[in-house]
Amino acid sequence: MEIARAKPHTVVRGTRRLPRHFIENAFWYVVLSLVAVITVFPFIWVFFTSFKGLNDPIFSVPPQLIPRDPTLENYLRVWRLLPVGRFYLNSILVTFGVVILNTLFASLAAYPLAKMQFWGRDTIFYLLLATYIVPPVLTSIPSFILAVKVFHYYDRLQSVIFPYLAGVLSIFLMRQAFKGVPDDLLDAGRMDGASEFRIWWDIVLPVVRPSLATVAIITFVEQWNNFFWPSLMLHTRENMTLQVGLVALQGAFANDARGIAAGVVMTVIPIIIFFSALQQQFVRGLTGAVKG
Amino acid sequence: MAKKSSITPYLFLAPAMIVIAVFFLYPIVAVFYYSFTDYNIVTPPQWIGLKNYQVLMRDAIFWQALSHSLVYLLVTPVLIFLSTILAIVVNRRLPGINAFRALFFIPVISGSIAVGIAWRLMLDTNGIINGLLISLGVLAEPFQWLAEPALTLPIAMLLTIWLGVGYYMMIFLAGLQNISEELYDAALIDGCNGWQKHWHVSIPGLRPQITFVAVISSLAALQVFNEIFTLTGGLGGILNSGVTLVFYLWRQAFRLNHAGMASAIAVVLLVITLIFSITNIRFLERGTQAD
Repeated sequence: MEIARAKPHTVVRGTRRLPRHFIENAFWYVVLSLVAVITVFPFIWVFFTSFKGLNDPIFSVPPQLIPRDPTLENYLRVWRLLPVGRFYLNSILVTFGVVILNTLFASLAAYPLAKMQFWGRDTIFYLLLATYIVPPVLTSIPSFILAVKVFHYYDRLQSVIFPYLAGVLSIFLMRQAFKGVPDDLLDAGRMDGASEFRIWWDIVLPVVRPSLATVAIITFVEQWNNFFWPSLMLHTRENMTLQVGLVALQGAFANDARGIAAGVVMTVIPIIIFFSALQQQFVRGLTGAVKG
Repeated sequence: MAKKSSITPYLFLAPAMIVIAVFFLYPIVAVFYYSFTDYNIVTPPQWIGLKNYQVLMRDAIFWQALSHSLVYLLVTPVLIFLSTILAIVVNRRLPGINAFRALFFIPVISGSIAVGIAWRLMLDTNGIINGLLISLGVLAEPFQWLAEPALTLPIAMLLTIWLGVGYYMMIFLAGLQNISEELYDAALIDGCNGWQKHWHVSIPGLRPQITFVAVISSLAALQVFNEIFTLTGGLGGILNSGVTLVFYLWRQAFRLNHAGMASAIAVVLLVITLIFSITNIRFLERGTQAD
């Protein structure tokens, strides 16, 4: 009975439907693969170039992609000439420092904005909204002067951490998340005599974990790739982050495409690994901001 | 709700508000003040009234930078067009589609500095682009892509588009997945074919995302810097062909130490940004109401 029912079904699919679907799907795979080639090609090319030996030409007709004389020499040369280990260490310190503190400060600030009534709440909210539209470059000139004349942290890592400890977008996203937490939950905590801080930490934060992840991921990508402000602040090579160091490398290795390629690979690899491991969270986090 | 007179809410707000006051609010006020001064960062600012603005109005490079920044806004319609189509394509239920979505997202997270430097290598006279085009018979000899003033902006814009398409695609994809299947079924019954159904259902359904993308991608376009910086090696291109408002601001402030002049450019940028975001939102909202 089972077989008798299944067989005609497959035959119908096989003769009438499958070929059409098959051709249509094949067409879409061709389109998707073409787009994939355009998106991925620069990475593939840089990757292979970074392993090219001196006998592998960078320019040739027809072009040669895969090295015939593969070597690690380009990486070693970059590593010898520049404190790449320090670049990594600095990038990690800055990125993680900012991610942790920015997420913490944002979830602190957003809590009363979402769940309390107090004098000046709307004013503060609209003030934040207004600063959100202001281009970040605008603040760079006064911030530069502050860094040099007031905080005296020019060319030190603090200079690229402090300005990012609060982000308006992070606060908005957390405020949105807190608004979704039912008031009953908070009132239950208040009934038990818990302080607002306890309620925030023990009751509310665990509920909004997905939003904390969103804020952390947005901040992570932003900070890891941050260049404009760090390039203004960090001048000694030992103090540079990866992005600033990469530009220094580009200057120092002017005509050495293999060395520059190795530098690009070293800069991009950590975030691509991170992305591959946490793909869903990354996409949800970075596009999740839209709904906020 | 908590007691109104409590100090608690202010304690929660304090850390973030101190940072925002020092690094956002104060600089916004200060930049207006500096724009009325002659200031080289080393010696104290001298009040000179509107002189910076008057000099700017007669500065050919400023007008060039302004027009470049406005031309750069063309990336917005291209980005919306390409990423909408791509979203519709990756919204199909195909085996392995998630892998493609992830691949298209890689440029978004890689950072414009590393990617810009990679592009610069590829577009070099001795780069792979020339190698490919010569093998294909398109070019007879290597072309200096980055030394051609007419191409500086288009190449930078192409890079911006290449960097952004995957991000906006994901936004549109999320929007598409919120459109009810029933609307598509209704469109099919009304006799729409494949692409017509997208024109009549998907595009109107994506209105909120289109507004959002139009606003954020044009704000990003007005503030472009990294692409120009990497592709021109920090020089702004031959004959200032790649100098945008933000690049000019950066050069005036941090290369030439004209902090006062740069602040005036910053104020102009702020005014343009405000006008632009407001009209953008108004215009696109009116479109929604007309539907």
